[in-house]
Amino acid sequence: MTELQAGQGAQPLEVARIDARPQRHRDLLIALIAFVVLALLPVLFGSKQLLDFVIRCAAYGLFATSLNLLVGYTGLISFGHGMFFGLGAYSFGLMMQKTGVPIPVAFFATLAMTFVVAVVIGAICVRLKEIYFAFVTLAFQMLIHSTILSWQSLTGGDQGLRGGIPRPPFLGIDLSNHLHLYVASCALLVIGLFLMRQIAQSPFGYTLRMIRDNATRASFIGIDVWRAKLAIFVLAALFAATGGMIMALFVSGAYPEFAYWTMSGEGIFINMLGGVTTFLGPMVGTMLFLILNDTVTRVTEYHGIVLGIVILFFAIGLRKGLMDFVVEWFAQRRSEERG
Amino acid sequence: MIPVDLDALASCLTSPACLVTQTTSGLIIGMLLFLVAVGLTLIFGVLKVVNFSHGAFYMFGAYFAMTAYQLTGSFALAILSGAVGTAILGLIFERVFMSRVYGRDVLMQLLVCYAFVLIFDDVVRMIWGPEFKSMGMPAAFQVPPLFIAGGVVPPYYLLLIGVALAAAVVLGLGLARSRIGKVIRAAAHNPGMVSALGINTGLIYGGVFALGGMLAGLAGALAAPVRSLTPGMGFSVLIESFIVTVIGGMGSILGALIGALLIGLIRSFGSLGFPLFTEGLMYLFMVIVLVSRPTGLFGKEVA
Amino acid sequence: MLEIRGLSKSFGGVKATDNVSLDFADGSLTAVIGPNGAGKSTFFNLITGALRPDAGQILLNGVDMAGKTPPEIVRNGIGRAFQVASIFPSLTVEETMLAAVCADQRRAGVTHRRFPLAETRDRAEHAMELLGLASKRNRTAATLSHGDQKLLDIALALVLDPKVLLLDEPTAGMGTEERWRMIDKVRELWEKQKITVVFIEHDMDIVFKIAPEIVVLCYGRILATGAPDAIRRNEAVIEAYLGSDDHAGAVA
Repeated sequence: MTELQAGQGAQPLEVARIDARPQRHRDLLIALIAFVVLALLPVLFGSKQLLDFVIRCAAYGLFATSLNLLVGYTGLISFGHGMFFGLGAYSFGLMMQKTGVPIPVAFFATLAMTFVVAVVIGAICVRLKEIYFAFVTLAFQMLIHSTILSWQSLTGGDQGLRGGIPRPPFLGIDLSNHLHLYVASCALLVIGLFLMRQIAQSPFGYTLRMIRDNATRASFIGIDVWRAKLAIFVLAALFAATGGMIMALFVSGAYPEFAYWTMSGEGIFINMLGGVTTFLGPMVGTMLFLILNDTVTRVTEYHGIVLGIVILFFAIGLRKGLMDFVVEWFAQRRSEERG
Repeated sequence: MIPVDLDALASCLTSPACLVTQTTSGLIIGMLLFLVAVGLTLIFGVLKVVNFSHGAFYMFGAYFAMTAYQLTGSFALAILSGAVGTAILGLIFERVFMSRVYGRDVLMQLLVCYAFVLIFDDVVRMIWGPEFKSMGMPAAFQVPPLFIAGGVVPPYYLLLIGVALAAAVVLGLGLARSRIGKVIRAAAHNPGMVSALGINTGLIYGGVFALGGMLAGLAGALAAPVRSLTPGMGFSVLIESFIVTVIGGMGSILGALIGALLIGLIRSFGSLGFPLFTEGLMYLFMVIVLVSRPTGLFGKEVA
Repeated sequence: MLEIRGLSKSFGGVKATDNVSLDFADGSLTAVIGPNGAGKSTFFNLITGALRPDAGQILLNGVDMAGKTPPEIVRNGIGRAFQVASIFPSLTVEETMLAAVCADQRRAGVTHRRFPLAETRDRAEHAMELLGLASKRNRTAATLSHGDQKLLDIALALVLDPKVLLLDEPTAGMGTEERWRMIDKVRELWEKQKITVVFIEHDMDIVFKIAPEIVVLCYGRILATGAPDAIRRNEAVIEAYLGSDDHAGAVA
């Protein structure tokens, strides 16, 4: 699952992962190209279905990739990451419904709120290890879910936020227009991924890997493990909330399921599908997951069985995510060619 | 804001009749939870695996019992088939699937269990249908309720509490006194040592899973007359048992008992004072326990 | 100057470190020896903050370290390597070094968000050169040999430019030849870096040959301190430690 285990199984490969040249320009270029390609998609294919798919990919992709910052990079198995997705969707939706502030204001206010909540919850959670961390994050998730269900006057309870989320135009962008929403979602996705990539490749990103590999040793080279874990917990929460906001805009509402534990379960499943050892693994997983979900739901009412078998195939059969598999296969081929 | 009805709670706390009613209902919730949670905690103690699919055994126990009752009309057979059926299911599940992920990432184990949560729910939906089912109260218990200090107590509740308590005592004594119990405790402490002594750890692991499955199945069978049966019924029980084991301390049987009773009482009294936030209360309680004692009330301190 | 004053720690009645007072002069090389269970590792754990002392002071240039957390103590200049090489299995040698330097620079106020500054690279390069790991820079730590993993562990401590370097059995688990190579390396580091080095060692030949200063611990107390010759002639040491022939034979 982790790089650690991938490393143990493989031959001593020579991998130069830190480049001498700054990679940021390359990442920026890739991000720009990706955005242009995505933005041109509607010109080539007019299918609304495809655009919807990309918007959902953006929401889920930001969520899953941010979860990978915790699971894959830091070794923090959060079973409550979905709470920030739900929190983002609800607080954005509520702010738009109740206050009528412009969308960018609501966007940043939601991020600020998520920041505060994540600091408080994170400060409690990151003290705990492994399975206890998973449990306490799950408990917080369920606590937030129960609060959403029971605070009916504000959240609409189990019916969700109804009546639509107003989307007044700002700066010439009208998010009630499907095409505008599509381009905005793509922009948020690309920017989010670019930022997360920078975090992962920064010295801080390597601090996280050190904590995952050997937290004790990390503290003996002067790293404040607790603070680093809290920092990534909060950062990941911000990206998850962004995903939640895209979702809220897309469905023009918010539902308790966004904050239910299954959201976190799906996030982990997505990471598993795509693989956690590459940065884009969760993105690949997101696409696989959404395609899988859509097809299976269409074909059979028993989609639980099909999804379950797919999970078993990856967990017991392949023992790694798709991208892990691909990367290892390439590395092996390269080393065979060389030797 | 979240609706709060503290007056109802206060008036119940001062009325003996209401106290008795709420306490018994809290006790049956607690005892059912205990049976599920103790299997969970036992499996974790010995195998170091968090069986995320444990709720499914509870569900299967209930459905097995219902079918057996409908076929034979015997309540005793219904309970028995619920317990034995899930024991066999637990054994197969452990040998065929879980045994492949021991020693791997926690993440992998959780995923395999997650897969089975999905699969088992759909299997039940296929066999028994998606709608709510009811087993009905066995004839022997279709008698007027008892009145204790003015509080209503259905006789079936007493049976349920009695059976669960008996299971707790047998289990506690068995683990403490019997040879198998000692082997299980030794395996929990040091698996390598047990296999070095020539004891088949695979057998123990399978046995522990079967035992855990059986207890959850027993809980499901006992619950069948008083709960409605639906695919997915295992999940809320699972989450609550998790809370119980985490509060009580993973691996501790006494902890599971105390935790289950606390949760049962919080549920039954909380439903008066915080009708819509009862579940929230449990999570809140769990958070408080975890923050003040990360390994639970009776968990071993990690050095 | 590292001064230990009345350092004590007990575990459930057993005094693992019992009122230990010691001075380590700047630039000294000291070996800590003692039979198994003498409290050598506990002594190191107390100094580095892995354990909290019951009583006593750990003064580094006059500043008390007792009660501080491991990261704080490391930042004050006490680095350590472990008996069992404690490394980051999935990171390459170079990544490990760069990330460690960055962690060190961050607290020194040099903030940078990407790899690698020239100075970062120089420091990492220097540490890899010193320990002979430069040629293995692109290997992940998990794939290194046992000896190289120990070297990497030491490099991790050294790359932070510590004032005091504590090495817990640098030669543990090595064959005779490898031990000598390792200990020559330690001595070379000490001479080049001009820092205070304290190491735990079982092999008496090694200790008497290379350590100018020796501390003998026994049951948590200091049995003797001094130069090799003095220790060799010390009655108490001979009786408690070297006296048992089979033990001396076992460690040699």
